[in-house]
Amino acid sequence: MSLFKKKAKSGSTTPVSAYFSALSKAETHAVNGVAPTATPALSLSSSVTSSSEDTVLHEDDTEIDNADGLALPPRAPNSSEVFTTVHTEFGHCSNHNFRAISRHIPGTPVPAHVDQDPPYYILLSTYISYLILICLGHVRDFLGKRFHPGAYRHLMPNDGYAPLNSDFDSFYTRRLKTRMDECFSQPVTGVAGRTIQLLDRISPDYNHHQVFTGTRTRALNISSYNYLGFAQARGGCADAVEASIREHGVSSCGSRLEGGSSDLHVLAEALVARFVGMEDALISSMGFATNSAHIPALVGKGCLVISDELNHASIRFGVRLSGANVRMFEHNDMGKLEALLREVISQGQPKTHRPWKKILVLVEGLYSMEGTLVNLPAIMELKKKYKFFLFVDEAHSVGALGPHGRGVADYFDIPPRSIDILMGTFTKSFGAAGGYIAGNKALIDRLRVRGHAGPYAEAMAPPVLTQVVASMASIMGVAPPSLVSSNSSSSTLLQPHLEVEPYHHPAPAPASSLPTWISLPPTLADGSEGLSRLRRLAFNSRYLHQGLIKLGFITYGHPASPIVPLLLFHPGKMNMFHWMMKDRQTPIIVVVVGYPATPLVTGRVRFCVSASHTKEDIDTVLRACDEVGDVLDLKHGLGPGERWGIDEVCARALELVNL
Amino acid sequence: MSSSADTLSAFLAYSLKNLDSAFTKIPGSAVLVRYVKSSHQNDPGRTFLELILVAFAIFTLLQSRTRTDRSGKHFIQFSEKEIDELVDEWTPEPLAAPLNAVEVADLAAVPIVVGQNGPKPTLARQPSKIIANLASYNFTGLAGKEIIKERAIETLRKYGLGSCGPPGFYGTLDVHMALERDIADFLGAEAAIIYSQGFSTISSVIPAFCKRGDIIVADRGVNFAIQKGIQISRSTVRWYDHNDLKSLEDVLDSVEKERKKRRGPLTRRFIITEGIFEKDGAMIDLPKLIELKYRKKYRLILDESISFGTVGRTGRGLTELYNVPAAKVDMLVGSMAIGLCAGGGFCAGSQNVIDHQQINGPSFVFSASMPALLAVSASEGIEILRSSPSILTKLQQNIRVARTLLDDLDCISIPSHPASPIIHMHVRKPTSGLLHPASASSGHAHSKPSNPASVLPRDASKWDWDIEAEERLLQLVVEEALRRGVMITRAKRLRGQEMVEARPSIRLALTSDLSAEEVKKAVKVVSQALKEVLRR
Repeated sequence: MSLFKKKAKSGSTTPVSAYFSALSKAETHAVNGVAPTATPALSLSSSVTSSSEDTVLHEDDTEIDNADGLALPPRAPNSSEVFTTVHTEFGHCSNHNFRAISRHIPGTPVPAHVDQDPPYYILLSTYISYLILICLGHVRDFLGKRFHPGAYRHLMPNDGYAPLNSDFDSFYTRRLKTRMDECFSQPVTGVAGRTIQLLDRISPDYNHHQVFTGTRTRALNISSYNYLGFAQARGGCADAVEASIREHGVSSCGSRLEGGSSDLHVLAEALVARFVGMEDALISSMGFATNSAHIPALVGKGCLVISDELNHASIRFGVRLSGANVRMFEHNDMGKLEALLREVISQGQPKTHRPWKKILVLVEGLYSMEGTLVNLPAIMELKKKYKFFLFVDEAHSVGALGPHGRGVADYFDIPPRSIDILMGTFTKSFGAAGGYIAGNKALIDRLRVRGHAGPYAEAMAPPVLTQVVASMASIMGVAPPSLVSSNSSSSTLLQPHLEVEPYHHPAPAPASSLPTWISLPPTLADGSEGLSRLRRLAFNSRYLHQGLIKLGFITYGHPASPIVPLLLFHPGKMNMFHWMMKDRQTPIIVVVVGYPATPLVTGRVRFCVSASHTKEDIDTVLRACDEVGDVLDLKHGLGPGERWGIDEVCARALELVNL
Repeated sequence: MSSSADTLSAFLAYSLKNLDSAFTKIPGSAVLVRYVKSSHQNDPGRTFLELILVAFAIFTLLQSRTRTDRSGKHFIQFSEKEIDELVDEWTPEPLAAPLNAVEVADLAAVPIVVGQNGPKPTLARQPSKIIANLASYNFTGLAGKEIIKERAIETLRKYGLGSCGPPGFYGTLDVHMALERDIADFLGAEAAIIYSQGFSTISSVIPAFCKRGDIIVADRGVNFAIQKGIQISRSTVRWYDHNDLKSLEDVLDSVEKERKKRRGPLTRRFIITEGIFEKDGAMIDLPKLIELKYRKKYRLILDESISFGTVGRTGRGLTELYNVPAAKVDMLVGSMAIGLCAGGGFCAGSQNVIDHQQINGPSFVFSASMPALLAVSASEGIEILRSSPSILTKLQQNIRVARTLLDDLDCISIPSHPASPIIHMHVRKPTSGLLHPASASSGHAHSKPSNPASVLPRDASKWDWDIEAEERLLQLVVEEALRRGVMITRAKRLRGQEMVEARPSIRLALTSDLSAEEVKKAVKVVSQALKEVLRR
């Protein structure tokens, strides 16, 4: 606590220019970097100690154990670098080359989802290994039921009760998933930032029970949805949340329509609307419920929902509740979508052939298991012709894509208001929880009154709202009423080599859109840190993606996507990959996903890149993948001739990112 | 020319020979040849027929399954030009109809709290001072507890805010596990699981267990979240009269009879009801219900969203009030957002029940876990309830104070249980007296029971209240009370989306954070407002 106060104090007394110098390039610093003489507090020695106390060391650790290479940056910061973040939460990186812009180059095609097939022997052996697992499972069940009936009692009808979960229904869980349970539901503690602390556990009985050993392991976290690195216990956003708890308490005490609304809700909704560029927005306290409780208010009987086959479970849940008809189209396949539209509009409703009341096309901006980007330009073309309504679920893409972080519309430079409904969550890029739906005022008011959440679900808690407001405002930058023009010039000064074209809606948030008790530190308030986070995320995403491809792996998804799936295929390799990544000197935790979340044969590991990762972190991941990939025979992408070695990949990162 | 033709024929002969030898090398080829020969039997017609059969089989196999409705009998073939015309012709309805005047006024009248919500909040656009908040859920006054705020801030400084992941993928924090243990211990259940939103909890718990073909017997007055859970489960539903255990028993008997008649297999069977009903504050007779469910071999899914944290000596809910072990309730669902002024919901039950949800609860699996500081706030809330039973005593005392004043009013009827922390008030018609579905169905002996397959009770056709008029009246009461400094609310409903339209009501939510005197004063204001508006 005291450490933190000290840091906050030094932060507030430090001139803005010192922060700027830290974030700008070395030569820029040489021009205006006279900060050390002006602020003796930031001399070399004190800067190093302050960073080792405030931004490197944290929690209760008294000595720095850097054996895993995670606690300290690879080199000590020099006098020109001032970091305001804790390295384990948000990595220190001041090299301005390691930045990129996330945007679509007009005229280039949007890659559809491509399934890259592995060699046949991989496919065949994958099928065979599932076959073996299934056969073994049935044999064990057969024998088990006869020799250990006690262990099967809960799966059998018992005393007039049908089993909660029959042995047939739970076969997959018991016989396949249990084998790899160590990859799932790993409990953690602390901030889900650049690194995360695992609560070590072992299983004495083949994953039926997990026992905690009481120790902790810090691991490089390339699994959390922390795209912009706002999962932080220190810094401007956390300070704002602390203030909000003192000011507003922890709970809103009720639903929005029945006494749970606060001024903070109103303010946050206005800011969200401004952020995504829509007229109005509503906020819901849970991301899943944002879809499941509001889609039924949009469509109903006589309406048709056209849904991408890989849409998230919450969308399916909501559509099922709505009672509307549903048709699916092949993932991101615009040709199939058009054919389907022509069919359903010409045929009308089934049997009666009456025209559909409305047609709602539901797509996601960025698909969480594939990393594909929706082909929004093509959908907008179709929308003009076929007059359907468009709902884009930006759960993963908002904040993570686009030169201004405003999501997939920003990425493709499509005016957001040409889309009918933009939905997104705060769990991912904003380090908060819950979700929003944005659209025109009439629509959002209708959802406030007709959506299930309005009268029945608890309103979002004030601390969560504050995290949303603070993180969004720091991405947008806050325009002080008197300093509108100087603010825009300072942001261009900050990024001299990355010009952004003039863009219609993303303007800084007016100071009036923040509660008076929030005071963001200067780097957050002027948007410079937000911008640098966007650029770092874009760099890291492209680098990891292209690096893996160059190393010879099969990956899915768009290069700009912070979600990078790497194909493993075999069920056995998922386990091994997870374990081998975790068991390194610098432990890395990964998410492995297999059937039923993916098709049977395309088991994969899914990396989620964050702005909090440094280039060295991505190097570490690539290096680990390279070694593990050789052992597990995972390199089936590029031919051996086109591949690069790991050292070459790390050295030529900039080239890869600009591919 | 001829030489090239020769080489070609030689090559053909060579490759044919090779093919032939290769074919004979395939295991089983001899069998095939023998079969074709024997089936040919010098009858080319027969071979031809078989070839057609094979071709047909291959054709059927290649037919895509998704194209079935294209070739269905309702499919009309259009030319491309016709389709273009139809596309041009089609005009969709607007996505959302603008709000009407009543809805606009309702939305504008929603009270907006400035700063901390609590027993005496400051409201936006409200000149007069609020002397009591009887609208927000702050039953045990946990919302204002400094200790909870301190613990929340400590947690924030250790965990940040969001968990940035679903529970399966590094979203399970130690504080989540601690809260699950706290809830299980508090209730006396074997285990518990937490969901990140109270409202979504039960609509996820139900489909995790109830599948197509299973049988659900549910109360006609269950809340909206349960209705949605039942809808998504696709199970067979039978309804019993609101809070009427006799009707429940009849329905259970009829289900059993039906099963015996059809000789159906043994399927999972559930009774779904609420502890204290969100719709009207009625309370179930838990011991009787439990006796019944054991006798009929049903599992019980009990929604204690309102009763958890508000009734019982220390707020453990109905199980404490009736002194029934929580382990006898198979799935006990509650809300930390309502009962503990934190966030999220939980389901408590046996380890088996909890493990099952960790893989099958849709909004558990597919949603990010709840923020750490909300989990810690909930744990702290439990600790406070556990250690200071006086809070609950005070809440019950306040409820009694309110009920004594309200029960005397003849312009309203109160369907809520005397111990319920929420008090619903209906407009009472001067002529018809008590006419609430609960009291109506249990009070008057019906010659015929309601149809269990229909959610509407038998007497639904006799319901003579005018929803719009009553809502308008009650809204006037709400505004009148607010003018005098007491914040209350109508029970907001999704008209047209609920399975049974609930009768319009004003819902008071009592709190232990006000003194008995303050409650008395506030309720007097409310009854004044009621009298003035309803007797006009």
